[in-house]
Amino acid sequence: MSPSLEEPSRPKAVVELKGVEKRFAAFTALRRMDLTIREGEFFTLLGPSGCGKTTTLRLIAGFDLPSEGQILIAGQDVSNIPAHLRPVHTVFQNYALFPHMTVLDNVAFPLTVRRIGRAERLERARAALDLVQMGSFAARKPSQLSGGQQQRVALARALVNEPRVLLLDEPLGALDLKLRKEMQAELKAMQRRLGITFVFVTHDQEEALSMSDRIALMKSGEIVQLDTPTGLYDRPANAYVADFIGETNMIPARVISQEGDVTLVEAMGTRLRVSGNHGHVAGAEVQMAIRPERVSDDMRETENSAEGVLADVEFIGTDLRMVYRMTDGSRVVMRQQNSGRAVPQLGETRRLGFRQQDLRLFGR
Amino acid sequence: MRRERREQLQTGLMLAPSVLLLALFILLPLCVVFAYSFALRDPYGAVLPGFTLDNYRELVQGVYLRVLMNSFSLAAWTTGLCLLIGYPVAYFIAFKAGRAAPALLLLLLIPFWINFLIRISAWVVLLGRGGLINKALVFSGVIDEPIGMLGTVGATLVGMVYAFLPMAVFPIYAALTPIDRRLMEAGADLGAGPAETFARVTLPLSLPGVLAAALFVFVPSMGVFAIPVLLGGGKDIILGNLIVQLFLEFRNIPVGAAVSILLLGFSGLGILLYMRALRRVEAMK
Ligand SMILES: Nc1ncnc2c1ncn2[C@@H]1O[C@H](COP(=O)(O)OP(=O)(O)OP(=O)(O)O)[C@@H](O)[C@H]1O
Ligand SMILES: [Mg+2]
Repeated sequence: MSPSLEEPSRPKAVVELKGVEKRFAAFTALRRMDLTIREGEFFTLLGPSGCGKTTTLRLIAGFDLPSEGQILIAGQDVSNIPAHLRPVHTVFQNYALFPHMTVLDNVAFPLTVRRIGRAERLERARAALDLVQMGSFAARKPSQLSGGQQQRVALARALVNEPRVLLLDEPLGALDLKLRKEMQAELKAMQRRLGITFVFVTHDQEEALSMSDRIALMKSGEIVQLDTPTGLYDRPANAYVADFIGETNMIPARVISQEGDVTLVEAMGTRLRVSGNHGHVAGAEVQMAIRPERVSDDMRETENSAEGVLADVEFIGTDLRMVYRMTDGSRVVMRQQNSGRAVPQLGETRRLGFRQQDLRLFGR
Repeated sequence: MRRERREQLQTGLMLAPSVLLLALFILLPLCVVFAYSFALRDPYGAVLPGFTLDNYRELVQGVYLRVLMNSFSLAAWTTGLCLLIGYPVAYFIAFKAGRAAPALLLLLLIPFWINFLIRISAWVVLLGRGGLINKALVFSGVIDEPIGMLGTVGATLVGMVYAFLPMAVFPIYAALTPIDRRLMEAGADLGAGPAETFARVTLPLSLPGVLAAALFVFVPSMGVFAIPVLLGGGKDIILGNLIVQLFLEFRNIPVGAAVSILLLGFSGLGILLYMRALRRVEAMK
């Protein structure tokens, strides 16, 4: 493709996977994966344990070679380029700091092996440590640091040489919740400031949603959907995505008819109108999905409604999570802001509203 | 308080048999040797009670110093060779052998089930003029006629390395296996090639094992006597056969005891040096 044909607003690809497959003996860990990661973006690989996230990173870093397919970094086929010559650095899940070196020597390592002079090396290593606010720990050994501090040092070490791409394998996995939230914001801010492409691995969907420009949601070695966080949340491609990203009510439904943009379905003991979901034939058994926060008990702006009995209320600080049992026996969770209004009594019957554009239908 | 006492008593009782055994078979003979090294002797070799430093004074003579140097240089060469050969072997078993590793370690152990002297005698046969090695070399045309290998320093070193190699491989292997492979991957990831990753990451992390290997080879090497006699022809007297000669041939038990104590002192010194070096290495972590 010649550059003039590219849209000017679209940054160019920095990592490309073309039909990449990875097999371990008889087990296929990655299936024909095609993936393009763009220059400067915060790209996340998200998925449950064992879906192949680490495998993908290891292929990009060069620790493993693909069984099939091609990997390109900055447009260059890296199949024959060993890990130490690839312009990517990794922040390992367990940080992999060198235990026999001080924090400063750890961070200076990538510069040392590139034969950069002592003065410049130390200066740049110190600057990188300051960047992650670890400047005052330069003389310590990794074993004398807390998990969060080790994580920062690992980050500084991977950033000091300004790689084209930074690979991060669940870098926040070992941190407690509060520190984790802090580091999420810091990482994101740092990525924006430095403009380095981040390929971030996590199995925490909230983390992925809050940090990423784009997310590839994986399932057993395949990408199920590659989209922006809002795209993934609001327009899940299938029931798996809807279920994995955020909380979703999955209600069994049957298609009655399709009229223009609107599909008429029977669910929760009543008939509902669903917009923008084509391709389901009349009589088909489907799953109807709706987010708990889109369920409301305010009937003014909803086309659809159904009756349910309040079975459970869970208090989660800012929100209330109410579980309703509908007339056909299905469960619907409604999430409402804790506005201080009176909560309905358990056992009380309520009418719940569902806007037609908030409902999604998936084949079963 | 009372419970603590009872626990102390229990621990003491449990340790008692092994302490007794050690005292009886190691400490007691040692004390005897120590006492002999200060004793007098009559012209026929019988030990006479008394106290003299003459036995030690005799040791500062040139002959004995030569023997000491011989022993030291043999032990040093053996240690160096065992480390040079043992490290790659240990590295291979730890990182490359995969599922074959336990079998390889067992192979290293098997010779220990055969008597030491028999194993060394096997080398006498192998290295002899009509031995397998000479035959193979002549047959393959490398040499025209058998060469005399027995009775050379080379033969002694072959036997020494053969005998002590496992002592080097095991501690190095034990230091290498727990090293997190991700540290090596991190080295590569950050731009260090295989050789540099080894020099900067793997080797420093395995140093405690290398030190232990050096100790395990050096200390017993100082005291050997059979290998240099059988393979090297016993031309250079070393501490080990000096002690044997003093005790059995010259019947000079007090001087023999003094040499033994000296040897013990060197071993102790080796252990001390090892501990210090280990502390330095551990402080790096
Ligand atoms: N060296 C290997 N040999 C055999 N199977 C492997 C190997 N490495 C990974 N696998 C398998 O490949 C699959 C994907 O592994 P991977 O480590 O990529 O998962 P992951 O998505 O990173 O999971 P997690 O969130 O638990 O880290 C797993 O089923 C794993 O058992
Ligand atoms: Mg993983």
